[in-house]
Amino acid sequence: MNKILALVFFLITITSFDSKSDQVIARQGQVSFFSYTSVENIEAKNNQVLSILDLSKNEIAISMLMRAFVFEKSLMHEHFNESYIESDIYPKATFEGAIVNFDPLAEKQVRIIKGILSIHGIDKEIEIKTTIENTNESYILEGDFTVEVKDFDIKIPPLLASNIAKTISIKFRFEYQPYEQ
Amino acid sequence: MRLLKPMNKKNKIIYLTGGIALFFGLFLWINKGESIDVTTISTEVGIRSEVLISKFRENEELANSMYTEKVIEISGVIKEITFLNNRTTIVLYGNDKGSYILCDMQSSQKQEVKDLKKDQNVSIKGICKGFLKDVIVLNCILINKKMDE
Repeated sequence: MNKILALVFFLITITSFDSKSDQVIARQGQVSFFSYTSVENIEAKNNQVLSILDLSKNEIAISMLMRAFVFEKSLMHEHFNESYIESDIYPKATFEGAIVNFDPLAEKQVRIIKGILSIHGIDKEIEIKTTIENTNESYILEGDFTVEVKDFDIKIPPLLASNIAKTISIKFRFEYQPYEQ
Repeated sequence: MRLLKPMNKKNKIIYLTGGIALFFGLFLWINKGESIDVTTISTEVGIRSEVLISKFRENEELANSMYTEKVIEISGVIKEITFLNNRTTIVLYGNDKGSYILCDMQSSQKQEVKDLKKDQNVSIKGICKGFLKDVIVLNCILINKKMDE
């Protein structure tokens, strides 16, 4: 009888461990980009970027709606979506990668994320340096990197070429919460 | 032979005024602000939060053509209110735990949002931007506040 009870207890314990997710989610991550030229500076923010971090596999996935970028001027928003990014055809940008030597238990660490960034239908392998903070079961990822406009087949009309930087700076911040599936 | 007659003073003033007006019009158009005020735009679609999420889950492409970049009015129940990234966001429940509606509120709504509570029924108007795991709605305003009985 005791053996049966022990077996039942063991099975319940195993099941409860299995049901606990190793994934955390950020539904309101922030991604900003900056284009600095002598003619004008362009800045846009997206505050609804989705990211899922798998703590057991060290994997990260990010997805964002290009139309959710907010610009200072609505004309910039219009040009960005209609002429450059073509949001109707390519509504999302994504990143999928792995954090090298990630330690989910470390309080603070600086790591490299290797993965594929997909913008405007073009995939590019990139490496991003990130700071990872672990505070009370919540993880915060922050960092910045640059991308080249030409790498993503984004066509800028010659007349506007001086208004848009060839290299775009990107900043990100994700605050993760337990993932209720 | 002279094809153009010299302009008289009256015509010069008309052309000059027109030119200045055109220049300022162009300047204002180029520099127009981002803050779209949805209070002045009429609602194109009214929908329950759980129905909106179902539509995107069933057929994202079709739902994009029906709702994305349109001014919609969503009725739903508040899951939580967040202030991440210095933004006020009302999160509405969907039909399950996995997906919600993220309503990014206009800055003018800060005071109205203060009075809201979790599990309260609300109607929110905003511009739908599409679907990731949640439906994203920007430039939101509260339409009314229905107190739970």
